[in-house]
Amino acid sequence: MASQKLGLVFFPAFDWAISPAHPEREERLLYTRDQIVEEGLLDMPCIREYKPQIAQYKDLERVHIGVPDLSSLITDAHLVSAGGAIAAADAVMRREVDRAFALVRPPGHHAMRVVHGTRGFCTINIEAIMVEYLRKNYGIGKVAIVDTDVHHGDGTQDVFYHDPNTLFISFHQDGRTLYPGTGFTNEMGSPNAIGTTLNIPLPPGTTDAGLHEVLDHLILPVLNDFKPDIIINSAGQDNHYSDPLANMAITAQGYARLADKLKADIAVLEGGYSIENALPYVNVGIILAMARMDYSKVIEPDIATCPVQSSAVTRSISAIIKERQNMWATKEKLQQEAIAKAGDFWQRGRNIYYDDAGIDERQKEVVRLCPHCSGYVTIETEAYGMFGYKSAYIATIPNQACPTCQKAAYDAVYKAKKQGKQQLYFVQNKMEDRLEIL
Amino acid sequence: MFLGLDVGGTFTDGVAVSAGKIISTVKTPTTHNNLLECILRAIDKVVLDTGNKNFERIALSTTIVTNALVEDKIDKVGLCIMPGPGMNIKDALPKEPYIVSGYIDHRGHEVARPTEEEVMSACRHFSSCDIFAISGKFAVRNPSYESMIADWIRKKVKPSHISLGARVSGSLNFLRRTNSAYYNGAVWRHFNQFATAVEDALLSRGIFGPVYVLKADGGTLPLAVAREFPVEAIFTGPAASVLGIMSLHPTRSPAVSLDIGGTTTDIALWQKGTPIFAEQGAKVAGYATSVRGFRLKSIGIGGDSFVRWEKNALKVGPMRYGPAMAVGGSKPTITDAMIASGLIEFGDKELALNAMKELALEGQTPYEVANMALDEAVTCIYQAVMSLLAEQEAEPVYRVEDIVQGRRINIEQILGVGGGATGLIPLVAKKMGLSYQLPDHGMVANAIGAAVARPTLDLTLRADTVKGFYTVAELGIKNRLPKSRFSLEDASLLAEQHLAELAKVTGIFLGETELIQAEEFNVIRGFNTVGKIITCRLQVKPGVLLPSKEVF
Repeated sequence: MASQKLGLVFFPAFDWAISPAHPEREERLLYTRDQIVEEGLLDMPCIREYKPQIAQYKDLERVHIGVPDLSSLITDAHLVSAGGAIAAADAVMRREVDRAFALVRPPGHHAMRVVHGTRGFCTINIEAIMVEYLRKNYGIGKVAIVDTDVHHGDGTQDVFYHDPNTLFISFHQDGRTLYPGTGFTNEMGSPNAIGTTLNIPLPPGTTDAGLHEVLDHLILPVLNDFKPDIIINSAGQDNHYSDPLANMAITAQGYARLADKLKADIAVLEGGYSIENALPYVNVGIILAMARMDYSKVIEPDIATCPVQSSAVTRSISAIIKERQNMWATKEKLQQEAIAKAGDFWQRGRNIYYDDAGIDERQKEVVRLCPHCSGYVTIETEAYGMFGYKSAYIATIPNQACPTCQKAAYDAVYKAKKQGKQQLYFVQNKMEDRLEIL
Repeated sequence: MFLGLDVGGTFTDGVAVSAGKIISTVKTPTTHNNLLECILRAIDKVVLDTGNKNFERIALSTTIVTNALVEDKIDKVGLCIMPGPGMNIKDALPKEPYIVSGYIDHRGHEVARPTEEEVMSACRHFSSCDIFAISGKFAVRNPSYESMIADWIRKKVKPSHISLGARVSGSLNFLRRTNSAYYNGAVWRHFNQFATAVEDALLSRGIFGPVYVLKADGGTLPLAVAREFPVEAIFTGPAASVLGIMSLHPTRSPAVSLDIGGTTTDIALWQKGTPIFAEQGAKVAGYATSVRGFRLKSIGIGGDSFVRWEKNALKVGPMRYGPAMAVGGSKPTITDAMIASGLIEFGDKELALNAMKELALEGQTPYEVANMALDEAVTCIYQAVMSLLAEQEAEPVYRVEDIVQGRRINIEQILGVGGGATGLIPLVAKKMGLSYQLPDHGMVANAIGAAVARPTLDLTLRADTVKGFYTVAELGIKNRLPKSRFSLEDASLLAEQHLAELAKVTGIFLGETELIQAEEFNVIRGFNTVGKIITCRLQVKPGVLLPSKEVF
């Protein structure tokens, strides 16, 4: 069969909500479904619809460690949503389509490696699960993820923070003014992976003009330089001017042109809560752009209410572009300095807040700065969650870990278990593709 | 007495059913140049056979609409569309449309109004057209603009006919509705001439029974209604045979039916006693439409399929070059293989054996080559059944529960009808490891289906309790909701009332109805539920007029 342009996994999960009045509720994609079906997009010869798969726990555990375990923290909807992203990836990798869009919910980009519950509407990180699935099943090496959601993709950043083979670019409304309050320019990756986390905080009121400045002068040149094997778009749509949870001013045209220029191999829906006024148009725009069809006629009925970009916003966008260009150009030097400063191990302690679950997690993360591989990671975590006080000690062995790191990771967990300060002990062994409970 | 007629590619079959019994079956060659001729010949034969012309009902399954399209006997249609924002639909249509501004949004809001001036200029643009089609995006959510434009056109040019997208189908899909409305207009005159000719001919013979036309979804329409919606009368042949099977052998268990004719095998899937519908409408001349039908697959394997060697492999079909050699044909066919292997008795066995001898390689007996050919035919049918099941299973669903539970159909039996069924069905059943049934009268299942198909109707009611109105696109209405607290239950009751009205207007007996789609979503502003959006689609249950056990 001839290759079609776009694979579309559409899964609105009409029977799933976090709670009845929550923004992440049954009808979030209702109007989008209406618009897509009414347009007749699914009848277009260059668009092929796919059904989501049901992701396996094995797929999830390449990314996540659930405390106490994943199965008691997620619902079937999460397995289907992650399976939707996987179905999109399979369609592209089997060359049945040129690119694919997983228009699925629930979303995932706020879910971090360790999961105690739901934060920012996300419980498991569907893009990260898809990326590790691609690596495991298709041997993909260098991956670029461009997060175009208005909120900083802190979960995805966390999962790939120590991985120099995954370039994570996130533009978002400045963390000083919006959830989750992170995504600042100093978050650049741990020393072995400096620069491959690229945050672009933008001022509230950024319009299509500002966004495309960032795209043309920063994101596209960086991608060009990094030369990824595959480009993933975390396609949140809440930068839209009508979104109730944020303050940006992007239009459906702005998003469609973004999709057109970015040429992502796979896009995965993230947030977007202007379910009636934005999502139907933004999604149709993205679908048309990814299918290489004419999107020029996708205009919101209330386009007149879209604000104009102020000159102060324009100036601050120019400044951030310049600063980030500089960082990218000097990242090797920054890395040498960071490694020299940290010594053999780099570590950080954090509090991670789960807004949906009301959980406060305390975490200590240690990365071995190995000269031969990206280094094993250990995590101590504790939180009062829905199952009371839970704690765990985890070691992660990355792909292509050196023998020393592999052994040291097990040693660290055995040692911690002997000390017995935590309740649960895990080794996430990516080389052997399994999560071990010790 | 019910009369059913099926105009097929080769033969026109007629069946008369009275008091639950088939009292007459006739077969006459189809006269493609003048369908009326073979239809009347079949009717005359039945009248002669039964000595009775008091038909309670005459139901026709014809290729008249298909022929009109194939032979290009279609009219020029002035196609006006209101696409609003979204995909550029222009190049996806069978005809260059005139684009009118103004549009309705997904909630049914009137966002921008079209103007009378631009519609007047559309009329000038289509000055040579006597038939118009009008289609607006989301007109099913609010049909008022389509009606308004129709009124303006009527006032200006008094056309013979105007097809409206939201009347042709109440379902979402602007592209499909637009294509349906266009083709409905394009075949309107041809179909109406045919309808008039049928009515006149029957009257002149003193036959006064009401005439119905079969639809692709197995329902029937009174001829007067079919005159307005002729596009619905397309692709009725396979539907007729599916309904025939329904009345000949009712089954509750999941089944696959195979209608093995001379040229093709039509495959349908069954669950809970009814055939499974296709999720999407049919394609007409390569364009997607909203015409509903059963989920069917047709493959080029039949009794007359040509058997030959091709690159050291024995091939069957899809081409046919006339009848089996056993009955005087010139080339070996699957029927010859069935006769030669002793599966059926038909024609001259010597000639069938000769056909197989022609095919046999050195050292091969005619019996062996016949079995090889049958094996190939059975494999093709088996693969087509499997791919139809896979298609059904791959159909997208939008709820978590539906994904987790899956929608696999575990077929339990095979139902076989048509000329080639007796010989091939046992072999297919053996390959699939299933039991099979070959109902009596399976040779004329199609005409029986037409005779006893129940008239159907469907409509979609969509209520928006925030805006306080509801629409029924098929009726072209947009009314205020009768009460403030309006539930899905209220919606289905209201749909029932409107369906009853529609049934009355169209002269259809309402009978048993079923809800084929029901959706209810909260509309939330801030953190408060401010109302609901309710959609329900109700139909008169398709099926057969008489409970078949009593019938046959």
